Amino acid sequence: MNKVISNQEIKKVDTKKIRTLLDRRRGKMKRFLSYCAHCSLCAESCFLYMKHKKDPQYMPSYKVINSLGKLYRKRGKVDRKSLDEMKGIVWRNCVLCSRCYCPIGIHVPSMIAFARTILRSQDVYPQRNESSSESWL
Amino acid sequence: MYDFVQGPLITIAFIVFILGLLFQLIQFFRLTRKKEWGRPPLPQEIKPEKKTAKTIIASCLASLNGTLWKTDPALTVVTSVFHVLLIITPLFLLGHNILLNQSCGWGLFSLPESLSDRLTLIILCCGAYFGGRRLFLARVRAITSLYDYVVLLIAVAPFLTGYFAYRQWFHYETVMMLHILSGNIMLITIPFTKLGHMLFFFLYRFFLGGEYGFLRGSRTW
Repeated sequence: MNKVISNQEIKKVDTKKIRTLLDRRRGKMKRFLSYCAHCSLCAESCFLYMKHKKDPQYMPSYKVINSLGKLYRKRGKVDRKSLDEMKGIVWRNCVLCSRCYCPIGIHVPSMIAFARTILRSQDVYPQRNESSSESWL
Repeated sequence: MYDFVQGPLITIAFIVFILGLLFQLIQFFRLTRKKEWGRPPLPQEIKPEKKTAKTIIASCLASLNGTLWKTDPALTVVTSVFHVLLIITPLFLLGHNILLNQSCGWGLFSLPESLSDRLTLIILCCGAYFGGRRLFLARVRAITSLYDYVVLLIAVAPFLTGYFAYRQWFHYETVMMLHILSGNIMLITIPFTKLGHMLFFFLYRFFLGGEYGFLRGSRTW
């Protein structure tokens, strides 16, 4: 497999920009993250979770905790490797179909969309010619 | 120590609990705004269906298909019972109401002591069920951290110590102090930890407009 060298791997992570973006929606997103009871009741509402033999990685709560949650926990101080991992979570593992259901009322799609916005600000997004073990949906 | 836990700490805990919830409530209304939702026009000619007891029951049962009752009925029952009893049991406990009567001159209706004891046991069983899920169910374990166990302990500790105190197991005064202390800790932590979903559940599901709202919420972020 040919390794694709894109601008994503060269550019340094602008943590200041990430923090500015995180602060912009802090009130809403932090509340969503801190009131998530980690009950996993959102799992079955995700068709990708059901399709992938109930792999926990596809649970809406897992995706949010390990993308946006991680960004808030580390206050934006993340390296490119972490951003690349998040890329897989928010683009490959989620199609933003908005079918996820949370009994508390947490709006998961808006959190995934916000995580995508932050990643895009660092030029992290699926490339057209990117080689991947799994196809991007 | 005992005097402080039994006296001023209870007052402090209630003040923090009430002011904390008020603060979170104000913050919610500051962060959200009112919105006029565009609703699709209703068809002009709608002939109301004749409702019989059979059709009402059938439609109620059908509406449960798309809910958690269908996907995880055991957890739905356990979590509903746990949350209802978590509020009802301490509020209508005879011992609490006697203390309330002594300090404020009024008290609430009290449940029989034997019933409260059984309800406490049910809460503890529900807590054990949640703990078991966190330990043994892969999907819950994947999103569980130490913090989740601490929060579960904070929620269950007042009932566990209360159960011990009622039965006078172990050293009574120590157990009573732990009971009051754990109750105070729970009250103080509710507005600032994930236990705050006690308030936010109602705000999100009743006030915010959305597909999963219980009412037609008129607010948006």
